[in-house]
Amino acid sequence: MGIFLQILIDGLVIGAFYSLIALGYTMVYGIIKLLNFAHGDLYMIGAFIGFTLLSFITGDGGLNTSVLGIGMIFVITMILVGFVGMGVERIAYRPLLLAPRLSILITALGVSLSLQYTSMNVWGASYKVYPISLPKNGFEIIGAHISYSQIGMILLSALLMLGLRLFIDKTIYGKAMRAIALDQTACSLMGINVYRIISLTFFIGAFLAAGAGIMSGIYYGTVNFMMGFIIGLKAFTAAVLGGIGNITGAMLGGFVLGILEAYGTFYLGGSWKDVLAFGILILFLVFKPTGILGAKEMERM
Amino acid sequence: MKPPLLKLTNVNSYYGKIRALNNVNLEINEGEIVTLLGSNGAGKSTTLKTISGIIKPKSGEIEWNGQNLVNVPPHRIVESGIIHVPEGRRIFGGLTITENLELGAYTFRKNKKWIKEGIERAFDLFPRLKERSKQIAGTLSGGEQQMLAISRGLMGNPKLLMLDEPSMGLAPIIVQEIMHNIQEINKQGTTILLIEQNAKAALRLANRGYLIEIGNIIMHDSAEVLREDDRIIRAYLGA
Repeated sequence: MGIFLQILIDGLVIGAFYSLIALGYTMVYGIIKLLNFAHGDLYMIGAFIGFTLLSFITGDGGLNTSVLGIGMIFVITMILVGFVGMGVERIAYRPLLLAPRLSILITALGVSLSLQYTSMNVWGASYKVYPISLPKNGFEIIGAHISYSQIGMILLSALLMLGLRLFIDKTIYGKAMRAIALDQTACSLMGINVYRIISLTFFIGAFLAAGAGIMSGIYYGTVNFMMGFIIGLKAFTAAVLGGIGNITGAMLGGFVLGILEAYGTFYLGGSWKDVLAFGILILFLVFKPTGILGAKEMERM
Repeated sequence: MKPPLLKLTNVNSYYGKIRALNNVNLEINEGEIVTLLGSNGAGKSTTLKTISGIIKPKSGEIEWNGQNLVNVPPHRIVESGIIHVPEGRRIFGGLTITENLELGAYTFRKNKKWIKEGIERAFDLFPRLKERSKQIAGTLSGGEQQMLAISRGLMGNPKLLMLDEPSMGLAPIIVQEIMHNIQEINKQGTTILLIEQNAKAALRLANRGYLIEIGNIIMHDSAEVLREDDRIIRAYLGA
């Protein structure tokens, strides 16, 4: 029983990372029908910028860093990476928005490689040990050890997702995003600067991915310039699982995938982890391509 | 005499290599209802799209309130007071009625009071929308969608409202209601450019009309004259 709960909590933490990244995937897909394969690398850039900033304040790698300082670094990193996301859209994708979808998809792969090797040149190719690690204290419940930092990460992710949900539902910019996903031309006729809203979408996606990046750096303890690749594909899987283009679906898909993976790893062994995740992707693509919450395509006249 | 509110001079627009507008000249004066008549594919919608900036003209001038509009992006044109209610209504089917109206007031997004009053005005003009304000717009009937599209256009406080076939696919009784409302909107001070297949209804409303064929304006005159014109009667009004 205890192990069951333990795995669930581990799965939720990993699922939270997947969800945060999947949101960027799904938002960008929703608004310009692009699978942004460079999105996982924004998560990696987030982890590295966080790494550098945290190194400044911790100095000797001690644990005496204040929560406030770490919080500030979270915010600064997320905003910086948000701008990187906007830059990627402006430089690489905007000139191709009217081009065939395949051109922009290939460009996304190019952007992904560019980000990876830029990062390699800046931070080096080796694994970097994160300057802060998690306090291990927590509590025991029916035999499972749950640390406060795990709870903290799940809560922080949930908070970010709640914030996003409110932004999309309640603000005029969120409404404009949903409207652009439905009909771009009609949006320009409302006086909406479509490019600016697309730019904002990239900012938010990158912002959330960067949050996941720092958290996973702290959680796993090491970062590497290739770390965005597999997790990007996993987040894509999560987005498809939930129904691509669907915000709530991406959140749900991330958690479902994280939990399934955690149990799969325990019962089948770690080497089957990726097989399981991508096996699920294939099954969904074959039997339910619209995902768990997939919206039915609105037929346009 | 006051200069026209909107003036198109020798405007040429293309779809790729195909010329859709051929030296179009058109004027609209403040307070008028002007109708643009013509058959399918004559260039009516293209004219509106060129004015609203969705299509860039290859040559020619578009002057609005003394300002040049060529190469101005569509959202700036909306901000300057020209609003285009496109063909086929193009409401946001996945959003609620209220959200559609709020997006119509996007250029006034900082002005909460305007949005609130605008929504009330829309509901006064089309009471049916009020009952369905929280409903997803895609579930509305065709007539209601058209009402929403017009109201959404009004939310942007247009000086010139361009309507592209507002009667398309609607029952005659609804068409009558919508035409009546268009007149009402005009009386409250909005200039209107109306595209219609239903020439009879349009000429009843309009002060002046233009007739366009294969990208050329072939006639323009007051609505009374056009109503009596042989060519128009034969082609559009039925013998």
